Amino acid sequence: MSQVSNSDARTKYAIELQGVCKSFRRTQVLSNLTMRVERGKTFAFLGRNGAGKTTTIRMLLGLLNRDQGEVRVLGLDPTAEPLMVRAHVGYLAEDQQMYGWMRVEEIVRFVAPFYATWDHDLALKYLREFELPLGTKIKHLSKGQNVRLGLVLALAHRPELVILDDPALGLDPVMRKQFNRDLITHLQGEGRTVFYSSHLLYEVEPVADEVAILDGGRLVRQADTETLRRDVKQFVLDRAALAAVRDDMSVLELQRAGEDVAATVQNASAVRALLDREGIGYRVNDLNLDEIFAAYVAGKVDDNAGARAAAGELAPQS
Amino acid sequence: MFLRIEKGSAAPISRQIAHQIASLCAAGKLKPGERLPSVRELARDLGVNQNTILRVYERLSGDGLLEMRQGQGTFVADGARANASPGQRTRLLDELRQIARQAKSLGLSSEQIHELLSVALGELDEQAAHDLAENLS
Repeated sequence: MSQVSNSDARTKYAIELQGVCKSFRRTQVLSNLTMRVERGKTFAFLGRNGAGKTTTIRMLLGLLNRDQGEVRVLGLDPTAEPLMVRAHVGYLAEDQQMYGWMRVEEIVRFVAPFYATWDHDLALKYLREFELPLGTKIKHLSKGQNVRLGLVLALAHRPELVILDDPALGLDPVMRKQFNRDLITHLQGEGRTVFYSSHLLYEVEPVADEVAILDGGRLVRQADTETLRRDVKQFVLDRAALAAVRDDMSVLELQRAGEDVAATVQNASAVRALLDREGIGYRVNDLNLDEIFAAYVAGKVDDNAGARAAAGELAPQS
Repeated sequence: MFLRIEKGSAAPISRQIAHQIASLCAAGKLKPGERLPSVRELARDLGVNQNTILRVYERLSGDGLLEMRQGQGTFVADGARANASPGQRTRLLDELRQIARQAKSLGLSSEQIHELLSVALGELDEQAAHDLAENLS
C-alpha cells in the first residue's frame, strides 16, 4: 500500500512524499506529489524554472509546511522534527550565499558547531581535494569554487542524505564535468543518497540512477534514463492511420506535417507492436534526452482528448 | 583505454561505452588478458555513475568479451576477438533492422541496401589494409 513509513522504522526509502499539495495564496505550486527515493541512489529532480523543485526541497528540509499529504525524510517528518532532519541531511541551497567577507577556513570553523557529528578532519580533507584556498575570502572565489565550498559544508557532518538545489547552475561545461566527478567520487563512492535538482536532463544522465520530471507541480515521470529512452520515441505515420491506434498510444506530443503526423509516445514498445500487428507503415525516431524532457514538459497535446486528436484537430507543427 | 562520451546523443551512455570497448577489442587495441580500469577509476575518469560502468562490464562479460575476476579486476577475455556472442548478434540485428527500416522508408530496394552495405564493408577493408601498411612501415 502507499502509506508512508513509521518514523522509527529504518525504511528502504530516504525520501517519501505522498499526495503532497502546496499553494502560495491562490497559486497551486505542488499538486498531489507522490515520489520515493531509495537509499543509496543518486536521484535527479528535473523540471523547468517554476515547476516546484525548490518548493519541494524546502519542504523536505522543514523550511516550508505542506498543505496536504505526507513527507518523510530518513523516516522523519520534517515539519515535526526539522532539527533532526537537518542533523542528518547535507544541504546546498540554490545559488547559496555565504558571508563574502569570511575566509574559507573561517566559514568552515563557523559552520562546524551547528552539527554534532561534524568531522573537521574530513572537512580539511575535502578542502584539500577540492583545491580550495583556505586563506581566500569567499567573495573572491570563482563560481565553481563556491559550489565546492558549499559541498564541503554540506558533507563534513557525514550526512546520510545530501540534498542539492540546482548545484550545477551557472557552472561552465568544464566545471560541470568536475562537479559530476565530485558527486561520483565523494557521494556515490561512499554510498550516500543524493537528491539533486536540475533543469538539464542530459547533464544528469551520466550520474543519476533515476530521474523524476516535475511539470507544473505534478510528477509526470519517474524512471531511470535508459528506461526513459526505451519508452519514449517518436513515431511518424500517415494521418489517416492515426485514428485507428490513437487510443492505445500514450502521447506526449503530436505534430502535423502535411499528410504525416509525428507522435511522441511514452509506450514505444506497445505502439510498435500495435502498428506492426495492424500493418500500418511508420518510421520510428530515437530521441535524445533533451527532446524527451521537452516532450514531457512542453509537449503540445491534450492527452484526455483522444477523440478530438483522432478527428484531426491536432496541435499545429511548431 | 581512451573512451569518449557524447552527451545529448540519442544513444544511451552505457551503450556508447559498451560499443567503444567492444570496438577496441575487435581492433586489437585491447588485447586478451589485458586489465581494464576498475569500475571506480573508469567512473571517475568519464564522470559516469559507477553502476552504469558496472552494468557495462557485466554485460560485456556475459557476452564473453570481458572477464570479471573476483578481487582481481576486469580483463579482456581470451578469444575476445573470435566470433560475436549470441547477445552481441541480437543487438546487432536490432540495429540492422532499424537501419533497414530507415533505408526502406527512403525508397531504397533490397538490392540497393545490400549494395550500400558492400560499399561500407569495402571501405572498412581498405582502412584495415591502410592501417596494417602504416604499422609495418
